[in-house]
Amino acid sequence: MARDEKVAICNGGIFRPDLWHGENAEEGVATAYQDLLKNVPNLTADDIDALCMSYFSDHLNGQLCMGWIIQDYLGLHNKPGYRVESGGSTSIDAIVNAYYMIKSGMFDVILIPGWEWMCEVSVAATNEMIASAADTDWDFPVGGYYNAFYAALEVRHMQLYGETCEDLGKIAVKNHNNSTHWPYSQWVSQHGTAPITLDDYWKNRLVCWPYRVLNCALMSEGACVLLMATESKARRFTDTPMWITGVGLGTDSMRPGDRTADFAYEGMKDEAKIYPDFVDPIKTPYPDMANFASLHIAAKRAYPQAGITNPLKELDLVELFAPYDGVELALYEDMMLCPRGEGKTLIREGVVEYGGECPSNLSGGLTASGHPVGATSLYYTLFLYWQLAGKIKEKCGPNGLQVPDARKALITGHGGTGCQGAVVTFESE
Amino acid sequence: MTEVGVEERKLKVRKIKRTRREAKYKHYPVVEDHSTAAQEYWEPIVNTGLWAIKGYQILKGPCGGGTVEEALKREPKEFMVIDRAAFALYSHSYGLVSPFFRGLLEGKLKGTKCPKCGATYCPPRAHCWNPKCRVADCEWVDLPLTGVIHTFTVQCLAAAPFEHQLPFSMGWVKIDGADTTLAMMFHIPPRELFIGQKVKIKFVPKEQRKGDLTDCYAVAVPGQKVPKWACLQKDPEKLESLEASMKQTIQFIKKRYGIDNSPEVRGW
Repeated sequence: MARDEKVAICNGGIFRPDLWHGENAEEGVATAYQDLLKNVPNLTADDIDALCMSYFSDHLNGQLCMGWIIQDYLGLHNKPGYRVESGGSTSIDAIVNAYYMIKSGMFDVILIPGWEWMCEVSVAATNEMIASAADTDWDFPVGGYYNAFYAALEVRHMQLYGETCEDLGKIAVKNHNNSTHWPYSQWVSQHGTAPITLDDYWKNRLVCWPYRVLNCALMSEGACVLLMATESKARRFTDTPMWITGVGLGTDSMRPGDRTADFAYEGMKDEAKIYPDFVDPIKTPYPDMANFASLHIAAKRAYPQAGITNPLKELDLVELFAPYDGVELALYEDMMLCPRGEGKTLIREGVVEYGGECPSNLSGGLTASGHPVGATSLYYTLFLYWQLAGKIKEKCGPNGLQVPDARKALITGHGGTGCQGAVVTFESE
Repeated sequence: MTEVGVEERKLKVRKIKRTRREAKYKHYPVVEDHSTAAQEYWEPIVNTGLWAIKGYQILKGPCGGGTVEEALKREPKEFMVIDRAAFALYSHSYGLVSPFFRGLLEGKLKGTKCPKCGATYCPPRAHCWNPKCRVADCEWVDLPLTGVIHTFTVQCLAAAPFEHQLPFSMGWVKIDGADTTLAMMFHIPPRELFIGQKVKIKFVPKEQRKGDLTDCYAVAVPGQKVPKWACLQKDPEKLESLEASMKQTIQFIKKRYGIDNSPEVRGW
């Protein structure tokens, strides 16, 4: 029986993502840890019961067991600690793991250091190493990039539900312009704070149709640490705890091509009837190669725990893990912010813009603010912590995009082509 | 910039005398061995030393935490950045679905069928994944060399091993009679490409086959009209912008690899 006490995100620290850092991973994590210690001045090593190390790749740095280096470097190597790894899901799974560890009653306070140093090898090689998270017998040999796999998923969604390249451009413009209000953004570091327009989007280089460079996640180096604690301990570290109210996990097939006969999800959503007539029937209409069943089921598991019945109305903002902009659009549907096939209307009607009913990726997200995999979901959770604490202006200056009176938020994370995913909901006091 | 210290660090690839590879499972002899060329090429490179440092650069960059602005205000620091090479050659088994890949060598497509629920898999599964079937053993079936495009993309960027083939289109094909879809490359001009398009599966010449999915590719069954609802062709302006990007990619590949991938030359 899990302990009754609530679990809180108590604060965190950032070493901003960038294309390259001279500092190496352990120094970057130490810098983020310094930032946490500054934010929580009374935190001592004695307070920390255990660590959850969050990093995705051994290949990218040619170093196994990097977690040991990190624990040692922070001087926390007398603590229990282990690594969490699940591709792009890594950093959100670290949060979920820490939550379970605290809920088990075995630990009260957990530190999650997350990092990724993705630019030691060339971009082509990094992409290749990331693509080895795809099925290397069946998918990798045919083009070999997630860019292509995700582009093909988006083409399927586009053909079924009629969003256009312009909708994808609008999401790209929204996210990049959001990121210019976030002073830790990689886009800001590389390109400054001038806003972009749809015109810039059309001139942008095409990667895999329909995706342009602006639609794709960045390669990043960076680190973030989060502090999580039980209700009774959390009060010592923060006046504005962000409670975890719901946690859901899900997985789907390794190969996206198998989702046309995805028996484990058979009957989950009977939506064959909303398919256009020209589409040949397939064994299981959901998720097809268009939506993300792993994340949909994760939301269905998290929402009841959080008492959420109308996510669009109840959530004040969401941070959707979208390595490609079509994913963000599909996740509007899979998070049940709208019915399946209606994702396009949320971007067209400004629902997900700042000032809209449910702003999405106000941080800028993976395509603009950065995607150092092991730190990614920690960053965006920390962003939500500041949002729900009402501290965005304090952290980002007068241009920060604070959602007024934000109380409830959601974050998603996933790996592969939605092979594994998690949804976590948060609430302020 | 000084070149001192670089010359003696130059990568020296020495020829290695080839010995017969030992069988992985020693009670049976190697049945076939088509790995010689790869071994001869890779082993000397691996032998130059895993993790051995090959060179370095001194790079300048911002230092310390905080925002972009705070970091840029500080004096930049110099960092020493080393080049470290790492290679490995994996000997990976295709497992129980090896007959599929041996089928590719012979220009055939095989799938598997679950005797309980009747689902047909291509890519084949040795065991049925329908939870009701309790991981039942599947049976092999021959599949036709025809199918339907389930989804696609057109690539102007690809991983290193495929870069010289750019631009190209890949996607997933539902082979006729199968319930799942198989990833492959398409030799179809984007102007003609659509979801639901009927395709024929072709194979590269026998002597070029390696027993992986690049041995086969899809071509369009002739005589099909692009439907009005096709998402790529619906907006002519977007199609033109894609074709312009493909032209740029063709020029880039010509410059980088000396290979001419223009449609007139390669025929698709």
